Amino acid sequence: MSEQDMLDIDGVTKMFGGLAALKEVSFSVNRGEIKGLIGPNGAGKTTLFNVLTGVYRPNAGSITLNGSSVTGLRPDQITSMGMIRTFQTIQLFEGMTVLENTMVGCHTWTRSGLFSSGLKLPGARREEEKIREESMVILKDVGLDTRPGEQGTNLPYGQQRMLELARALASRPDILLLDEPAAGLNQYETGELSQLLLSLREQGLTILLVEHDMGLVMKVSNEVVVLDYGKVIARGTPDEVQNDPKVIEAYLGIEAD
Amino acid sequence: MRKVVFRGMKADEKRNRVLWCSIAVVALVIALALSLKGSKGLQWVISGLTVGSIYALVAMGFSIIYASTRVINFAQGEFSMLGGMLMYTFSSQVGLPAWLSFILAVTVVTALGAGFERAVIHRMEGASVVALIIVTIGFSIFIRAVAKWIWGTDPVKIAAFLGEEPLRFLGASIVPQSFWVFGFTAVAVILVFLFFNRTLPGKGMRAAAGNPDAASLVGVSTSTSSLLAWTMAAALGAAAGIIIAPINFAAYSFGVMLGLKGFAAAILGGLGSAPGAVVGGLILGVLEIMTAGAFPSGYKDAVAFLIIILVLLVRPQGLLGKPEGEKV
Amino acid sequence: MEKLEKIDATEKGRNYRILLILSVFIFTVPFWAGLIPGSILHMDIVNLMVLAGTYACAVIGLNLLVGYAGQISLGHAAFFGIGAYTTAILCTRMAWFPTWLGVILGGLVAGIIGWLVGVPVLRLKGHYLAMATLGLGEIAFILFTQLKGLTGGTLGILNIPSLSIFGLEFDTEFKLYFLIWAVVMLMMLLSINIICSRVGRALRALHSSDDAAEAMGINTARYKTMIFVLSAVFAGIGGALFAHFLNYIDPASFTFFLSILFITMVVIGGMGNIWGGLVGVIFLIFLPEVIQGLPHWIPLVPESLTNFGNYELVVYGLLLILFMMYMPKGIAFGLSRGTSYAKTKFGHLRDRISARKYEGH
Repeated sequence: MSEQDMLDIDGVTKMFGGLAALKEVSFSVNRGEIKGLIGPNGAGKTTLFNVLTGVYRPNAGSITLNGSSVTGLRPDQITSMGMIRTFQTIQLFEGMTVLENTMVGCHTWTRSGLFSSGLKLPGARREEEKIREESMVILKDVGLDTRPGEQGTNLPYGQQRMLELARALASRPDILLLDEPAAGLNQYETGELSQLLLSLREQGLTILLVEHDMGLVMKVSNEVVVLDYGKVIARGTPDEVQNDPKVIEAYLGIEAD
Repeated sequence: MRKVVFRGMKADEKRNRVLWCSIAVVALVIALALSLKGSKGLQWVISGLTVGSIYALVAMGFSIIYASTRVINFAQGEFSMLGGMLMYTFSSQVGLPAWLSFILAVTVVTALGAGFERAVIHRMEGASVVALIIVTIGFSIFIRAVAKWIWGTDPVKIAAFLGEEPLRFLGASIVPQSFWVFGFTAVAVILVFLFFNRTLPGKGMRAAAGNPDAASLVGVSTSTSSLLAWTMAAALGAAAGIIIAPINFAAYSFGVMLGLKGFAAAILGGLGSAPGAVVGGLILGVLEIMTAGAFPSGYKDAVAFLIIILVLLVRPQGLLGKPEGEKV
Repeated sequence: MEKLEKIDATEKGRNYRILLILSVFIFTVPFWAGLIPGSILHMDIVNLMVLAGTYACAVIGLNLLVGYAGQISLGHAAFFGIGAYTTAILCTRMAWFPTWLGVILGGLVAGIIGWLVGVPVLRLKGHYLAMATLGLGEIAFILFTQLKGLTGGTLGILNIPSLSIFGLEFDTEFKLYFLIWAVVMLMMLLSINIICSRVGRALRALHSSDDAAEAMGINTARYKTMIFVLSAVFAGIGGALFAHFLNYIDPASFTFFLSILFITMVVIGGMGNIWGGLVGVIFLIFLPEVIQGLPHWIPLVPESLTNFGNYELVVYGLLLILFMMYMPKGIAFGLSRGTSYAKTKFGHLRDRISARKYEGH
């Protein structure tokens, strides 16, 4: 792997029983790029996310984040090493406000424990203050700062997606894994999302983007990887990929050869 | 939908290996007991396998409900207690023949289990697993308190199904009821196996345990599957309580311990696995009797608890269980 | 930023205000309890409230565990008993042993046992803790009865000295009342702070979804264990206070029944409501008294109802089922609903009155 790789996926295979959901998937994500990951339903995109974030352990292969191996680590360990994800089906925390949901995201870079927070020691107070301020700044960035006291699960669908994104951003990640962030968004909201993603890249964030909205993927991605039946079948710039016959076949369902 | 989960050969082979290993270990322990202690060892093994069979039946009840609803049913032991007490009422107090009392007692408890599922569990659709577990805790202490009202606190003796005279076998004495226990357990295990592998609702329930989508394809709703699970668990529990009663007596308070041991057996074999329940039950039964032979009898009941902790520490999926959702 | 602080302050600030009002109420009880006409005797209320205070220690912690971490413990009677036996053994064997240190050690020993059970069991997803703690409760009871040299067997331990802190003797219920409830209020304060902190948010997150919480970098096993151990420490302290209050203990005080009582208190008070534990304790401690008083107050109620001990488990079992089915958020939630309803009603009324005044002018 080269210096500029943020995430390196090398020969990752995941079997479910006798069925291979991922077959020797290899590609890397460069520092500061948005990499699109597309493929038909059931191609293994979400499985790959689950392997990358430690929900599943791969049967073979290795995953390197920022130069250190994360293969076989627990999800929370991987998240604290700088790689955080969002979910395809929104998973906001119930009974928590918009602000609190975002504040949970700050867990990775804060330290207060049972005693310091129970006794309200000065350190814990200062940290709490910082968490609140930073969360509010992030909510402002994604346009959710108007009603921070609202229950997260009461927001309209599009805003719930944005809140999940805000929660992930609050962890100060190096790389963000987004699982269909535009699903269920209207055209206006998708436009805003793509602006946001581009500005995040400008700020130096690396993003791996799984998405069905081809317009969005092609607009924001530096490079696109195509997955089908658990295998990488194509990679390249958005233009190259769009004209690749194998990709067209995979999406139209015509048999290869 | 390409996400249908296939049963992997590799995982199955591995589990089979574990099964044979655990059977080998049990055989070894038994052989050791026999060679070191002679007829006394044989006595232990037979008593161990007898109570072990009962634990196996209770464990199957836990596993069936857990597999279909993820709920740990705290009333499982109370089903057995009720079975034993009702058997006492029908056979000793009313004076009905044993076979009729058996059928009546099992029917009443089964109806109670199914009724509870419909009246409470079914109506709490969408409730958290914690809420459902608390409800089963409430149900268990309710049953126990009512049983205490009806039958009082003294243990009662129930006549053995066929004769009380112990048989002599290589220096060990075997009560005839032990054969009933072995026979009934074998029949119950076979019936449960056939249900889950040969009948449509059984296969559907197995599918539902892994994947709700697949279950709806087979045509078994979660609601039906939950009702069936509770019905079977209640029936198995009741039968276990009845057939052990002539050996161990019956009392309103026996449900807790039986439940705890059945659960330990289920954990040992792999919660959610029916063959695991049988293996776990037999191993626990033998281990317990050995402990009772080696240490003061007051500590016998600690074995089940230590097994729960040890298994969760070393092999949380149990001897024959699948790792949770194929996760880490 | 001003608005922001307000949002956060509402929840926490409101809890602090409730705590203050409640403290004032609780600490004046001994002075006016005797004035209630036709009621139970004065000393009875204080006595019951001291008992309620020791139970509250266990229930507050259990409420954090069940309501915020989503785990059930059926072994809190064991922790309560371990705390009681620890201080009882130390203070009766060694006359010089400071009783306050015994109480603290009682909490610590309970916490260590909790940690030993919690680490292997809470590593796993699912609800194994409930069964493991049920087993722990049974084992603890066996040990309390069997280790005769240490625990006195079924006879228990007599002549446990009263609490004294730096020469201050808490030898009457009246004095003890203030000490125990001060401890309870301190535990409440700690709980409120924890729930509105990083740790509390992590707990609420993992209760809502294990997977999402882990994706946020939360080590769910560690936090579940942490709160389980804290609840064990609270229960141990409660048990130690109980031992010094009654001056004697025996295994019969720490059975499975007590664990069920604790769980029932949490459930009917309100799981996941910070005040649920206290409400549940007070409710269930006074329920038998009220029921026993019923035939005196209402002539039609049969006398047989007064033997609450005969059927209390039936009642608790039914309460657990019915509350989970129809009122899963418990009484505390109902109370807070009621007060906010009253507030808005009252607010409307006030608006209307002021509007009428305005019209009148």
